[in-house]
Amino acid sequence: MRGLRLVRRETPLAGGQLRAVLVGVMIALLIGVVLLVATGNNPFSTYLRMLDSAFGSPRAWSNTLTRAVPLGLAGLAVAVAGSMGLWNIGAEGQIIAGAIGAAWVARLLPDLSGPLLIPLMLLGAVLGGAVLALGPALARARLGVSEIITTLMLNEVAIRIVRYLVNGPWKDPEGNNFPIAPEIPDQAKLPGLFERANIGVLIAALVVGLFGWLVSRSAWGYELRIAGSSERTAEYVGISLRTKILTVLVMSGMFAGLAGGIELTGSASRLVEGVAGGWGFAGIIVAALALMRPSGVAAVAIAFGAVQIGGLAIQTQGVPAAISDILQALILFGALAAAVFGSYRLQRGEPTSATTPAIAEPGAAT
Amino acid sequence: MEAPAQGLAVELDNIWKRFPGVIANAGTRLHVKPGSVHAVLGENGAGKTTLMNVLAGMYRPDEGTVRLHGVEQSFAAPADAIAAGVGMVHQEFRLVPTFSVTENVVLGAAPRVLSRSALEDQVAALAERFGLATDPRREVWQLSMGERQRVEILKALWRDARVLILDEPTAVLTPIEADELGRITAAMAADGRSIIFISHKLDEVTAFCDEATVLRGGETVAGNLAVSDLDAGRLAELMVGEATEVSQRRVRTSSPGATVLDVKDLLVVDLHGRHVVDGVSFSIGSGEVLGIAGIAGNGQRPLADALAGLTTSTGSVKSGEHDLSSASPNERHRHGLSYVPEDRIGVGLAPRLSVADNAIMRTYRTDAKGLLIDQEKSAEHAEDLVKRFNVKIADLHSPIAGLSGGNLQRLLVGREVDREPTVLIAAQPTRGLDVQGVAAIQRVLLEQAEAGVAVLLISEDLDELLALSDRLMVMHEGKIVAEFDPDETTRSDVGVAMTGAAHIEGAPS
Repeated sequence: MRGLRLVRRETPLAGGQLRAVLVGVMIALLIGVVLLVATGNNPFSTYLRMLDSAFGSPRAWSNTLTRAVPLGLAGLAVAVAGSMGLWNIGAEGQIIAGAIGAAWVARLLPDLSGPLLIPLMLLGAVLGGAVLALGPALARARLGVSEIITTLMLNEVAIRIVRYLVNGPWKDPEGNNFPIAPEIPDQAKLPGLFERANIGVLIAALVVGLFGWLVSRSAWGYELRIAGSSERTAEYVGISLRTKILTVLVMSGMFAGLAGGIELTGSASRLVEGVAGGWGFAGIIVAALALMRPSGVAAVAIAFGAVQIGGLAIQTQGVPAAISDILQALILFGALAAAVFGSYRLQRGEPTSATTPAIAEPGAAT
Repeated sequence: MEAPAQGLAVELDNIWKRFPGVIANAGTRLHVKPGSVHAVLGENGAGKTTLMNVLAGMYRPDEGTVRLHGVEQSFAAPADAIAAGVGMVHQEFRLVPTFSVTENVVLGAAPRVLSRSALEDQVAALAERFGLATDPRREVWQLSMGERQRVEILKALWRDARVLILDEPTAVLTPIEADELGRITAAMAADGRSIIFISHKLDEVTAFCDEATVLRGGETVAGNLAVSDLDAGRLAELMVGEATEVSQRRVRTSSPGATVLDVKDLLVVDLHGRHVVDGVSFSIGSGEVLGIAGIAGNGQRPLADALAGLTTSTGSVKSGEHDLSSASPNERHRHGLSYVPEDRIGVGLAPRLSVADNAIMRTYRTDAKGLLIDQEKSAEHAEDLVKRFNVKIADLHSPIAGLSGGNLQRLLVGREVDREPTVLIAAQPTRGLDVQGVAAIQRVLLEQAEAGVAVLLISEDLDELLALSDRLMVMHEGKIVAEFDPDETTRSDVGVAMTGAAHIEGAPS
């Protein structure tokens, strides 16, 4: 077997992750120049417009941060599970479950005052996400059933449930027969923060910051990281894997659920089928770019949000939607591909089990 | 220099294969006659598996020639070796569990147009011919280990392997299945094929093989011995060789202190229902080193895991007054039992975490500041271990995956003895380390014994065991089969016991 192969670096490039990602994004932007020129756009003014629309004014910041809220919470959901080596592919469904939970609370208690109703709705959202994650968590912890498959499939279930609700029992009688639920009461909407941003930004920042910190600093997070490095080491240290798996997956569902709740009370104002908007799947990309470290999620979510806002803005400037989508995809792809080189390097030659003697099984070279 | 032998099926001459820090083959030679079953013997690390990987096209040798039936070969990939008629049955089977026997056998080598039932008939006929009883329609996940092995052999025969390598084939088999395997290899040899049989069990070699080649330290110490000339003593001598200098030597305690670890009737049953630890009893006194010798895979690893609480077991384990028979790994550690596992990276350490994170695995619970890890204390603790046990690191906060084997082991052993244990279980603590690393680890073990710790030393290195142990027990097929006083025994006596010879007197040969 000759040719180029990826080999894990013995020590990850110090501070190189960021550098590699920047290089990857630069390469993506250069490829983008070709695309833009080919379609008759000025690449310089286009990129400037992207930057300006994402960060150029308080209003731009408010747009970017609003986007970053569901991205960050979904990214946190995936990354918390990921630090233990678990894959929650069901954040999309858990966001829907969260939105349903929040909407349900609003339906049950429509006359409650805002300061009471909003926290209860968010609690409903968190519980909704937890309920959807509970099954996969139990199946994985008790029976070893792959959480990847179960969480993925529950996305479909969540979509069917919200479709049923907005077409059936929760359908808005004044909705001109659209499949939408009635708008939530005014006092149930999240108060604004600045420009278009609401306090959802603060809630998300608090949650993402707190848990990012806990995973890297607390004993609980330390155990999580041991289990993510090697399950047998975790057993050796005396960590109960079952409990860990259960709590981490349910917690992951809670974060996604919270994203759904904030989406409903903050932006959507009513339950619709597309309430999750793909945030759950985007969360996987956010977590991957943060290298599954919850502490890196916030920065990645803001950058990701900025790319989306920038991509939308240039469409109003005449750049075709397709080109804008390709451009966004290129940037993400460049960043993701480059992130790999922080912990891997290219090597030419024959694969031998002895390239990393320290990790090879003691008997591997005999 | 030997004259080029005529009519040999396999000629491996002067094979060299080096890995970073290890020379696996140093001019190894292996000559196999057609139509014979040829045993390749040697301790772990003797270079058997690397040599077979060279023959099977998995590795390119750095030097040396490979000839099959007199024709020189240069394999760039396993596919070349298969095309040249070499088949290998690895220790870990390479089968698709959800495919049928037939599908597994013909996978990648199926004729383009042929019905499933015709293929099944052909596979069944092939199996019939060599006495490989198997149902071609069953799916592999339903099969026993012995049946799966037959599927692997069928795979090689389907590709018309003239040379078939069996890497420790009986390790996964029951005694009855092993006997059956003997009949199968005889049938294949009678068909003119050559079988290379890797083993370190003397009884099998004498029962199943025609000739034997013994490797030690990557060199061929004896080639083409007729198995009828072999006896257990000679074989043990060839396999383990002359005594090598050991840097540490124990001043033996004539009177160990009070019993610290007391084990009675320990039984561990694996997933296949085999008794991998079969009624083991022993006790270790304070300040005593009990050595356990044995060829790899005779129950040493499950024994250590069971004592540490990582494997379920029955029987009684007592540390002083405390009954730990059903205690969790954590409780056992709290009662003073430290464990240096054989698999350092996969069990004892977390490779993706930093030196500091690995250093505090045993202390983070007591050292925590509320919910949080005490970062300062953890760094101090890590620095202390690194200094005291001479671990060479670049940075406390970079992952340990980049450290050398010796440094990893210093860190692990240091962490385990740091909390002043009463019992220290050390499984293969010096395996794969360089001379300095070996000396450092052995020194720590002896210091622990001098400080009154009861040490259980499980090792495959006889010199180490003889030098460090106060008492020496030999494990074979899950049982303690012999006990020696290291001062009054020889390497070959222990070596004979390791092959289980004491138990096979009168066995068919």
